[in-house]
Amino acid sequence: MADRNSPFIELRGVVKDYHSKAGAFQALKGIDLDIYPGEFLGVVGKSGAGKSTLLNMLTGVDKLTAGEVRVYTNGSSINLANLSENELALWRGRTMGVVYQSFQLLPMLNLVQNVMMAMDMSGLYHPRKSKERALELLDLVELEAHAFKYPSQISGGQQQRVAIARALANDPPLIVADEPTGSLDSVTADHIFNLFQRFLQSDRTIVMVTHDQGLMPRFSRYVNIVDGELVENGREL
Amino acid sequence: MRPRWRKVLSDLIDNKARTILVVFSIAVGVFAIGVIAGTYVIISEDMGVSYSANNPSNIEIRMDDFDQDLLNTIRKFDGIKGAEARRVFTIRLRPLGETKWTSVDVIAIEDFQENEINLLEPVSGATEPGKNEILLERDVLDELEVSSGEYLEVQLRDDTIKEIMVAGIVRDSSTGAIDFLSPPLAYITTDSLKFFDQPKDYNRLFATVEVGQDDDEQIRSVLADLSEKIEKNNYTIGRTFISKTHEHPLEPTINAVLGILMALGVLIVFLSSALIANTLNALLNQHLRHIGVMKLIGGRDQIIFRMYLVLLLAFGFLALLIAIPAGGQGAYALAEYIADQMGFSLLGYRIVPLSLIIQVAVGILVPLVAGFIPVIKGSKVTVQEALDGDQASAADDDDSADREGGSRFERFQVRSVQVLADRGIRIPRQMLISLRNTFRQRGRLLLTLITLTMGGAIFISVFNVRVTLHDYVEDIGNYFLADVTLDFERPYRLEEIKQYAHQDPRVTAVEGWSYASAEILFPDGNTAENISILAPPADSNLVSPLMVDGHWIQPGDIKKLTISEGIYDYYPDLKAGDMIPLKINGKEEYWEVVGVFKFIGLEGVLGYAPYEYISREQNLANRSFSYRIVTEKHDRVYQQVMAKELDAYFRDQGFHVQEATPGLSTMDSASESLDILIAFLLIMALLTATVGSMGLAGTMSMNVMDRTREIGIMRAIGATDREIIRMVIGEGMLIGLLSFGLGMILAVPFTYLLSAIVSNAVFATPIAVVFTPMGYYIWLGLVIILSSLASVLPARNAARLTIREVLAYE
Repeated sequence: MADRNSPFIELRGVVKDYHSKAGAFQALKGIDLDIYPGEFLGVVGKSGAGKSTLLNMLTGVDKLTAGEVRVYTNGSSINLANLSENELALWRGRTMGVVYQSFQLLPMLNLVQNVMMAMDMSGLYHPRKSKERALELLDLVELEAHAFKYPSQISGGQQQRVAIARALANDPPLIVADEPTGSLDSVTADHIFNLFQRFLQSDRTIVMVTHDQGLMPRFSRYVNIVDGELVENGREL
Repeated sequence: MRPRWRKVLSDLIDNKARTILVVFSIAVGVFAIGVIAGTYVIISEDMGVSYSANNPSNIEIRMDDFDQDLLNTIRKFDGIKGAEARRVFTIRLRPLGETKWTSVDVIAIEDFQENEINLLEPVSGATEPGKNEILLERDVLDELEVSSGEYLEVQLRDDTIKEIMVAGIVRDSSTGAIDFLSPPLAYITTDSLKFFDQPKDYNRLFATVEVGQDDDEQIRSVLADLSEKIEKNNYTIGRTFISKTHEHPLEPTINAVLGILMALGVLIVFLSSALIANTLNALLNQHLRHIGVMKLIGGRDQIIFRMYLVLLLAFGFLALLIAIPAGGQGAYALAEYIADQMGFSLLGYRIVPLSLIIQVAVGILVPLVAGFIPVIKGSKVTVQEALDGDQASAADDDDSADREGGSRFERFQVRSVQVLADRGIRIPRQMLISLRNTFRQRGRLLLTLITLTMGGAIFISVFNVRVTLHDYVEDIGNYFLADVTLDFERPYRLEEIKQYAHQDPRVTAVEGWSYASAEILFPDGNTAENISILAPPADSNLVSPLMVDGHWIQPGDIKKLTISEGIYDYYPDLKAGDMIPLKINGKEEYWEVVGVFKFIGLEGVLGYAPYEYISREQNLANRSFSYRIVTEKHDRVYQQVMAKELDAYFRDQGFHVQEATPGLSTMDSASESLDILIAFLLIMALLTATVGSMGLAGTMSMNVMDRTREIGIMRAIGATDREIIRMVIGEGMLIGLLSFGLGMILAVPFTYLLSAIVSNAVFATPIAVVFTPMGYYIWLGLVIILSSLASVLPARNAARLTIREVLAYE
């Protein structure tokens, strides 16, 4: 198991500027943040505070304007800014699972194929093995019975559970979730949250972005983001 | 199946309308190319094989009556492989009980069993006629209805009418091939010559050469030597023809026409690729989020690129499934039609490997080439851009240009609307929205406009070319201004015929014409080409020539002629006033060319010299075999009636009439073959127009799909179904009308280009281009209908969407 006192991910002086017709806008203003192995970190903030932008810096989905995001795995470190789009895609597929509020499932594939797609893209599993694993993961999120249905045939909560199963497909050490319960009712949201908490037991690191301050007690640590700045480090449980 | 391929399969199957649109647009181009390439190969292969299978003569000599002795001499002549002689004469036939006569050239063959040159192919009934029976070439059946075993009435030289049995129908792909304006043919044995009141002598020689059967020079050289030999034996040669064994005389013309169709086929492929590029751009735009998701979970550019490449290949493959069998059948049908028209047979249906390879290459390459840029752009999109659905900033799509250019256009639109409003002119809101929408996706608009404009321009051009060709044929009709041509079996005095003809008050003028056949020689004395010299009175009003150089014949001309521009093939630098060597009546003479006139190049070389001189030279002064008669009316029906009545009248008066031909009928066969060519061109034009309208339909569907959310918002704030439909149809119509405007302009150079190519192929001469509004009107009507149809479905779909559906649309 990784050293829980050494950071898994380091963000140093992360700045993100956007340029639009209205002028330049700084979404992140020099973020410094360490994320440790095995923690369930909540990034809490209001709409427009910069939390999704921060998450995009972490996943390499968006390019930062200044600073660096460094990820430590297997005794070496990677500066995400040094990776090309293709390297980032492969690294992301193998290192992290990403869950979005809008599920982002592929509508033309059934549930098991959606989960298999992640394994297919990263090339970590043999196609035959990947089907077995996808079914296991769907079982884990209690959806094995619906494995051959299409996303449009199941509820929002169920779709989010498929998205989670897909995030786990390549057994990544990091799960990143952007408002995963944002579009779900409270009971379903609670169910989803419990799932994330179960993954902590398997030594995964989870970073979740939310605007819901009520969830703060459920994270192992949280940070508040306001107008692109971290204003308060969260408490340790 | 791996999920990535599952996705590709679903992309192919789920949006059937889109798949059908892409597949059909590829298939149309591949089909067109397949038909043309297949026809080209089948015709090139079979035409030669079928033609040569009947052992066509290399040399045909039309000459004075001759006997077996001369034939035997010719058979032993150096360079001659085989020689056969026939007697050919013209008679008139009609089915029992009918009144309309049909002229046919009857060929008397000594022994059908031993016939080795210009072989006949059986079609139905007997393969050789018995005594006093006749075989008909199948072209005769175009003129009269008769079957084997039935009887026909025959009118002989002395107007006697007899009955004769049709023993069978045959096809002769050799004898008529060289002279496709000659009358249809019929065959008898020499035993039946007495029945037709014909002498036993021959008057036509068919021969094959020993070596160089496909070498024009060699055949010409043997012909020159042979002609000399024949003339030394005191025979006069009328006309000579040469042809290669393995090349149908009309093959170059057919290939030229197929070449034009091929060019149009290539254009269709080009247009369909524009349509495919458009559709794939839209498809990738719609798939941005999918691409983003795949990249988010580890998909690299190469994987995405490969997936969409396979999708492109699948489109191509599906198109091939339709286009290859359809193209193969189409090619064979077109080849069969051409073969039927040209009088040869095909070797049977088969897959043409070259056509297949071209089709496969085009079917695979076109979507790959057309889709390459959209697919590269799509696969290079970053996750962020893809998930935001903002391909514009990433993939240099129209939107970014739209933002700046669009605003410029919007500013222009606002200003224009204000200016109009100040003058009390109010533009309806929907029209303004349609106008703005039309110019939003400029890349897409451009491709759609190119496709539709090209389709329209070709469509309009084909109509212009049609009128141009017919106009030229009418100009050629200026050489045949007589209403009735009356040919006699023997010469009659001019005054006598005029006197009789003017008994009919409907006859306004009569001219006696003469005719001479000669050979144009090269300076070294070798024969270059035959020339038919028509000899009207020098002051005749029945010829209105299109002079290219010099002037028309004049009274008093001696050894002077005007000549058709076909002479340039042999004397390219010839000018009016130059002398050329001719062999006329067996004598070599130098004649002065006083002028060169335009005429159909394929008809060989034609000349005009004054009647006064030619008739005197032929010892036929003030007499003639052939008369041109002008009547008070000049329409086709009137000419036919007059021809029939004059024929009957002169026969009743005891004249030996060979034939009375209505003037315009000479032009009819030329017009008919032109109409066949125009029909092919029109089919190609319709195919381009189809691709164009498919492009428009696709664009409208894509535009509506792109704007689903916008339409939802409009409906949420009160826009009715009718307003939405009107807006979408307005946009389609606007694109259609824009393309019409551009097509009108583009049709001008297209018309010139197409006319030049077609006229050179058909007439072997450039001709004056004529424009007709008909093509413009028809295309305007079509474009309005096509634009409306292409927009109706997307418009109805847009109007059917509920507000909830469209606002939930991503």
